[in-house]
Amino acid sequence: MTQTLKSKKAVEYLLTVWVIITLNFLLPRLMPGDPFLFISGAEGEDIARFSEAQRAYYIDQYDFDSPLPVQYGQYIAALAGGDLGYSIYYNEPVAPLLLRRLPWTLLLVCSTVGLSTLFGTLLGGLSARYQGKWIDRLLFIGLIVVSEIPAFLLGLVLLFVFAAGMQLFPLSGAMTHFAAHESAWRIFCDIVLHATLPIATLTLVRTGGIYLLARNSIITVMARDYLRTARAKGLGRLRIFWRHALRNAMLPIVTRVFLSLGTLVGGAILVENVFNYPGLGRLMREAVMVHDYPLIQGIFLLVTLTVLSANFLADLIYKRLDPRIDTGAAFPAVREAG
Amino acid sequence: MFRYLMKALCLWMMMMMFFSCSRDESAVSEGTQAKTASSADKDAAVIRLEGGDWGYPTPYAHYPRGPGGFKMCLIFDSLLERGPKGLIPWLAEKIEISENGKVYVFTIRDGVKWQDGRPLTPEDVRFSIDYAGRHPMTWSYVYGTIDQVAAGPGNTVKVVLKQPAAPMYYNLGLTRIIPSHIWQDVDRPKEFTAPEALIGSGPYRLTQYSKEHGTYRFEAFDGFWGPRQRVRRIEFIPVSEPVLAYENRTIDLVRISPDLLPRFEKDPENKIVRSPAFWGYRLLFNMEKAGPLRDRRVRQAIAHAVDLDELVAKIARGAAVPGRAGILPPDHVMAADVKAYDYDPRHAEALLSEAGYGRADAAGIRFSVDGSSLEFDLLCSSQEVRMAEILQQRLSDVGIGIKVNSVDPKTRDTRVRNHDYRLAVIGHGGWGHDPEYLAAHFSGRLSTLSSSPSASGLAGFDAPGLEKLLDRQQTEVDPDRRREMIEQIQRLAAEEVPEIPLFYTTAYNVYRPATYDGWMFMFDHHSLLHSKLSYLEREAPQP
Repeated sequence: MTQTLKSKKAVEYLLTVWVIITLNFLLPRLMPGDPFLFISGAEGEDIARFSEAQRAYYIDQYDFDSPLPVQYGQYIAALAGGDLGYSIYYNEPVAPLLLRRLPWTLLLVCSTVGLSTLFGTLLGGLSARYQGKWIDRLLFIGLIVVSEIPAFLLGLVLLFVFAAGMQLFPLSGAMTHFAAHESAWRIFCDIVLHATLPIATLTLVRTGGIYLLARNSIITVMARDYLRTARAKGLGRLRIFWRHALRNAMLPIVTRVFLSLGTLVGGAILVENVFNYPGLGRLMREAVMVHDYPLIQGIFLLVTLTVLSANFLADLIYKRLDPRIDTGAAFPAVREAG
Repeated sequence: MFRYLMKALCLWMMMMMFFSCSRDESAVSEGTQAKTASSADKDAAVIRLEGGDWGYPTPYAHYPRGPGGFKMCLIFDSLLERGPKGLIPWLAEKIEISENGKVYVFTIRDGVKWQDGRPLTPEDVRFSIDYAGRHPMTWSYVYGTIDQVAAGPGNTVKVVLKQPAAPMYYNLGLTRIIPSHIWQDVDRPKEFTAPEALIGSGPYRLTQYSKEHGTYRFEAFDGFWGPRQRVRRIEFIPVSEPVLAYENRTIDLVRISPDLLPRFEKDPENKIVRSPAFWGYRLLFNMEKAGPLRDRRVRQAIAHAVDLDELVAKIARGAAVPGRAGILPPDHVMAADVKAYDYDPRHAEALLSEAGYGRADAAGIRFSVDGSSLEFDLLCSSQEVRMAEILQQRLSDVGIGIKVNSVDPKTRDTRVRNHDYRLAVIGHGGWGHDPEYLAAHFSGRLSTLSSSPSASGLAGFDAPGLEKLLDRQQTEVDPDRRREMIEQIQRLAAEEVPEIPLFYTTAYNVYRPATYDGWMFMFDHHSLLHSKLSYLEREAPQP
C-alpha cells in the first residue's frame, strides 16, 4: 500500500470516528425526556419521586442546562483526555463500568465467532463435498431453520430444557455467587459452565449464515481450473480440500465474520438479557431505559470502535490470506464480498 | 497457522463439552448448608432473594427504584419506620409537632451505635436533616423545605420548616440518618462510594456487592440497638427466570402472576400471600383547552362507559382491583367509602345527551349543537396499546371517538408533563404513600414540596371547593382532622371525576414457611421483601 493510500485510509477512519462521536452525543439528547424525568414506571415497580427542585439540582450538577454546543465541547475535551464521563444512573465513571462488563461480552462474542466459524465452515465444506446428496439437503434445511429462530427465543428454549428441566446448566448469571470454590481451576470451570448456554444460543443462530457462505464459496472454488490441475496432479482429496479449496474459499468467510461483529453484539444484547448475563448488552438496555446519556455515549462509542477495529483487522487479515491484494482496492473488495 | 488455530479451537470445544457434562457440584453454596441447620426454629441463617444491580446502598448512591431504596434501608435507620399499620417510632422515641405545623421536636433514642462503634448522637440527626435539606437524598423529600435544625437540649432535635406541611411527618420521619463524622466533608454525595459511606446504624451491614453481577450480601450487625435479626444473612443473586429459580430452591420468595397459582397451590410446602394493590393505571383528562372534557357530566359519562372489571380481567388477567373514583386504592390506610361508577353504557349515554351531545354523525360520534364533537386522541405508551384499544371500543359504544396514539414511554411521560395530550393512560406506583399526592393529582401543580411530575398530569381542572380542601389538608397536623379532610376530598373527587383510576395491580407472593416465615407488608407498599421489619423479630410475625 502506498503512503498516500495509507494516509487516505487513516483520514477515512478518523472521519468515521468523529461522525460516530458526534452522533453518539446527539442521539441520546434527541430522545424525549431527560434522566431525571420520572413519571411512569415498570409495572409493579416503585420509582423515586423527584420534585422540580430536585430535578433542577441534578440538571445543574450534570450541566444539562448548558447549551448543546457547550456540552459538546466539554464532551470532546473530556474524551480527548480519556474521560468517558460519569454515569448518572450508576453513579460511577463510565470507563471502569464498561471495562468490568466488557470481558463478559467478549467471552460470549469471541467464543461465538470461533465456534460458529468453525462449525459453519466445516459443515459448509461437508455440504459442498456432497452437494445435492441427502446430507447436503439435511444440513441446508436444518441450519436455515435454526438460524431463522430469534436468539432470545432459542435462548429461552435452551434455558427451559437444559437448565430448568435437565438441570445440566445454571439458570442465570456468569458464575456461582457466595460459593466456596476450591481453586482457580474450579472458578474457571464455573465460568465456562455458566457461559455454555448463552454461547450455544448465539453459535446456533450464527452458524447458518456462515454455513451458507462457506458452502457457496467452496462450491465456486471447487469448480476452478487450479483445482482441476490439483486433482490432475494426483493430490489427495483432503489435501486438495484443506490446502487449495478451503484456503481460497475462506476469503469471503473472513470478511463476513468481521463485518458481522456489529450484528453479533446486537444478538448478545438479547441473549444476555435472557440469561441475566452481566455483559455490555444488558448494560446498554438499562442505560437506554433510564436515559443515562454519558453511559449510552460510552457504550455506543465502545461498540462502534470495536466494529471499526474489526474492519481494520479484516483488511489486514484479508491481505495476509491473499497476498495479491496490496492496494487500496482491497478495501472495497472486502465490502462487496461481505 | 490455520491448522494451529483449528487445533486450538477443537481443544477448547472439547473442554467446554467436558465441563458442561460435569456440573460443578463442589461449588456448594455456603448458604445452602447453613440454611438447613436452622430451619427448625423458622429463623434463618441465610435467605436468598432475587438480585440485580440496584446501586451502592447509601442514601444517595442507590438507584431511584424500590429494590435499591429498600437495600439501603437495611443499613440506614430513620427516625420513624414503616410498620404494618402506619409509621412507628424508630430512632426517635417521641415526636412533638407545634400547633402551626412548622416545628417538629424529635426525642432521639439513647444507646444507638453506628456500625463503626461510635455513638449516634442528636448532632448526627441534626446534621442528616440539614444535609438532606441541602443535598436531595434519592428517597427523601425534605430537600429545600428546612428552615433550620438544632440539636438539644438533651436528646432532642428541633426542626423548623419553611412552611407547614402535613406530609413532612412522613418525609422527615423516613429521611435516613447518616453519621456526621463521615459525611460532613462530602460535597457530591451521589458520587461518594467509599467503604465508609456504608456505615449506618441499621440491623445489617453490607459484606459483599458486585455491580456487574448484581449480587449483594448483608450480614446481621451484632451491635444493632433494636429488635433481634431473625435472618443472619440475606443474599441477593442474579436470576433469569424467578419462578424457575424458586422451584429450583435458588431463591426463597417469588412474586407470581395469577396464571401460575395452580402450580404452587397444590404443594402444601408453599404459602401464598396476595400483595396490597399500590401500583395503578390512570386515565388522565386535559381540561386546559375549552372543550367537552371540562364538563363534569362528560367525565362522569366516560367513567360509566369504561368497564373496569373487563380491564382487570383482560389486561391484568385478574391480578388487580378495579380503580376507585376517590383515587386512593382500597388498601390505602385513608381510603374512604365513595361513590362508585358501575359500567352502565345507557347511563353514560343519558349523561352525554344531558351535556348537549345528543346527536351522532354517520360514524356514530356524538356532537353538540355548536359543532364540537366527542372525539379525542388517547396518548399511551407502546406497552398499553391493548388497554387503549379496549377503552376505544367501550367509549365508541356510547358515541365517543378515540384515536389511539402510542409512543415510547419516555415520550408519553414528556408529553404528559408538558400537558400535550387530550386523554392519556399512565401507570406508576406509590399509591399507598401519604395522600398528599392527591394535591398534585388534581391541581397538576409541580409543587416544590414532595410531589413530582409523576403525580401531575391533570391540566386545567377547576374545582375551587376541592382545591381549598387540598390546601387545608396540607397544613393540618392533627391526624384525625386531616383524615376527615382526606375522606372529604375523595368524596368530592368521586363526584368531579378529575381522572379515572383504571385499576391497581396486585401480585401473589410465594414462599416456604419452613425456610422462613417472618414476611410482612408495610402499610403503604406492595413488596414483602422490601419491608425492613420482615427480617426482624416482631410481636406478630405473620403477614
